[in-house]
Amino acid sequence: MFEPFTDVNPSFFGWLNQGPLTLTIFLHTIIILPMIWIYFQEKKRLENEN
Amino acid sequence: MANKSVWSDNRFWRRTATWVTGFASVLLIWLTFDTSAQIAMGNDQDLQNKVTKRVPGPTVINYKITYEMSAKRGHEIPVIGEKEKFFGRDDYSEEEAGALLHLGKLGSQAKNCMDCHTLLGNGAYFAPDLTKAWLDPAWGPDGAMQALTGKNTKEEAMAEFLMHPDQYPTHARMMPDLGITAKEAKGLVAFLKHMSSIDTNGFPRNFGKIKGAVHGK
Repeated sequence: MFEPFTDVNPSFFGWLNQGPLTLTIFLHTIIILPMIWIYFQEKKRLENEN
Repeated sequence: MANKSVWSDNRFWRRTATWVTGFASVLLIWLTFDTSAQIAMGNDQDLQNKVTKRVPGPTVINYKITYEMSAKRGHEIPVIGEKEKFFGRDDYSEEEAGALLHLGKLGSQAKNCMDCHTLLGNGAYFAPDLTKAWLDPAWGPDGAMQALTGKNTKEEAMAEFLMHPDQYPTHARMMPDLGITAKEAKGLVAFLKHMSSIDTNGFPRNFGKIKGAVHGK
């Protein structure tokens, strides 16, 4: 899943590009997890309104 | 009133869209600056101090460039070695080398190389990819092009070919005579030599193995 870092210069984007899943895992963490958090916040709000 | 679903709630989608758009914008702006730094051209000091840059300085034309398989990176990378004469000299200053590359770049645009060739991924695939043309063994001491053009060095053979391509038909699709002068040819060869030293993460893939992608094979 995580390959050794092989890019010319060390960089955050180089790290993201090292393996087939690194970018996918990063984007899911950063986009999907907050969406789940927003989902439950909004669900709670709708329940309270009722 | 029945419970309203979160999925049909405007606020949920608005907040999600705001988060995704905002985060993507930050990421792309960051990526822009990260890339700018990584593709910035090096200088003569970097070459003397063996600092690896993706795009070496123009004085790289004073050095021997080889293309070697990197087991770590899983593809071939250009390796800048010892000094090597280029048109009889290995002491081009940064200004001289820069001027040569500039002339070559303008020449490549004026003669529209990309109408047939590919340079760094841009252009056509009608004629061989020129990204790593300098490293093509066909131009080396064991290749056919030096004997064919009657020259003793890679750069002279390339310049001679560029000036009279119609006299050396190496392909079924012959390169036309574009009226390239000796001075322009020198600039173009310098431009090609510098381009071959750029670390392109192994692009073009399998250079030298694809039949027809490399001159004289």
